[in-house]
Amino acid sequence: MNGRRVTFGGTQPPPQEMPTHSDLEPEPTSSQSLLTDRRSFSQAVVIAPPNPVAAPESKLTLRNVCKNFHTKTGKFNAVQDINVEVQAGEFLCIVGPSGCGKSTLLNIIAGLEKPDEGQALVNGRPIVGPGTDRVVIFQELALFPWLTVLKNVEFGLRMKGVGKREREEKALHFLKMVHLTRFSRCYVHELSGGMKQRVALARALAIDPEILLMDEPFAALDAQTRDILHEELQEIWAATRKTIVFVTHNVREAACLGDRVLVFSTHPGRIKREIEIRYARPRRLEDPNLVAFSKSIVAELKAEVEKVAQEELDYDWRTGEKKPVLRPRDHDVGSGI
Amino acid sequence: MWEVASRAGIWPRFLFPSPTEVLQTLAEGFADRTFVFGVLASLRRIFLGYAISLLLGVLLGLAISRNRLIAETLGSLILGLQTLPSICWLPLALLWFGLNESAIVFVVVMGALLSITSATESGIKNAPPLLIKAGQNMGATGGRLLIEVVVPAALPSILSGMKQGWSFAWRSLMAGELLYGSVGLGNLLTVGRELNDMSQVVAVMLIIVVIGLAADYLVFSRLERTMRRRWGFEAS
Repeated sequence: MNGRRVTFGGTQPPPQEMPTHSDLEPEPTSSQSLLTDRRSFSQAVVIAPPNPVAAPESKLTLRNVCKNFHTKTGKFNAVQDINVEVQAGEFLCIVGPSGCGKSTLLNIIAGLEKPDEGQALVNGRPIVGPGTDRVVIFQELALFPWLTVLKNVEFGLRMKGVGKREREEKALHFLKMVHLTRFSRCYVHELSGGMKQRVALARALAIDPEILLMDEPFAALDAQTRDILHEELQEIWAATRKTIVFVTHNVREAACLGDRVLVFSTHPGRIKREIEIRYARPRRLEDPNLVAFSKSIVAELKAEVEKVAQEELDYDWRTGEKKPVLRPRDHDVGSGI
Repeated sequence: MWEVASRAGIWPRFLFPSPTEVLQTLAEGFADRTFVFGVLASLRRIFLGYAISLLLGVLLGLAISRNRLIAETLGSLILGLQTLPSICWLPLALLWFGLNESAIVFVVVMGALLSITSATESGIKNAPPLLIKAGQNMGATGGRLLIEVVVPAALPSILSGMKQGWSFAWRSLMAGELLYGSVGLGNLLTVGRELNDMSQVVAVMLIIVVIGLAADYLVFSRLERTMRRRWGFEAS
């Protein structure tokens, strides 16, 4: 574990000495010990904070958080026993199959839902409800269609009672950050999906929250737009130094963006594995290191997805190797090599 | 065709006036100001009644959608009352307010109120929860959340309720004025009937249609179109 290289700040080239595969993908036993280690440490002292400006106190703390839902079929355990410490300025990704409770966890942090057990703290104080110190960027469109782009970005400032001039100035500043000043007078429906998420990002940043909560914000975008936004999000994160909690089901996205990735299991939603990623930024999705890295997470997630499928699908559903579909003339595939 | 049918003399002239006669009556009516006063009196009543019902309707709709107790008591009552044609409130209004303007305005209010109320209620119930969550998330609470997020989100539904309410209000006003009224368009119809002046009846009917259409075209359709364009329901 000590072979990890810390390279923050973004513009540095990747380390000469590439981390070995075993370093990236710890043995299950060692990952287990890493997990327990971190847990016990997090209670007492913070070791090697990923960000040097980290306060002695964590920005965000979840302690033994549980949340149940009551359905017709009985009690359903959405998240169970979640312990997380997030430092100021950290980029935390939560990855897991759909239905693993990662969005529930985000809602708990946002104060839109209350945990049944355990505590959720921001700066050491319990979360009691929604607050402008924690702003969510949703996957689906949550912009107000009756307002122009500029007014949308101004909304949070208006709620705070900021004056008109200052409001507009700030809103334009953040629209500039996401490169959308030209569209400030447009209505939301006139924008493309990627532009809408840019507006949502600007709107969230304008409120100047301490923590940015992102709930699969790029899931509905096409791959090319997503790649661009990944890069820009890293840039903006580096410039603003916000604490970000980013929920996704896309493993490579998580590996690309996060300082740390929490892999969730389903039924109940728990932290299965915790991985630190310390590559130079800006990272790109196609970075071979990240690809190798995400493979190991994918393998872990696959087991979870299969577990869900086993519960949801018919009994005759089997996992394992699927027979490739061959046409007669495909039999000599490879004969010419 | 109307002119020809009228001049052919199939029906007596006093029952089936020709368009030229109707136009002449219209011109005369406006010249001696009887029509002008009639239109103004009716418009005054409808604006007053409609404004009251718009205000009350939106407030009632908000109250019903926000408060369970009100929803369970008033909500079902309103649904029941909607089946009652608003002119049926006239006898009650006459007893309550006496033979005066208030009685007619009351009938107009009852005509528009319920459809605006139920449209507001359903609009708020169907307001996308995500938008409300986003509003809360950005620091909007209580009344501000209601005014800045919930009501705008319910606007498409409220607008269609307003449009429907307008036509209900206009109809109730005419019915009210026909049965009872001092000056007003409905009253001009009654006078026309009593004087056997069919051309006045037709002329006033024309005015009623034109005002109804104008309100719809100039106000409601325009509002709706602006809203739809902004929200992206319709290509601009």
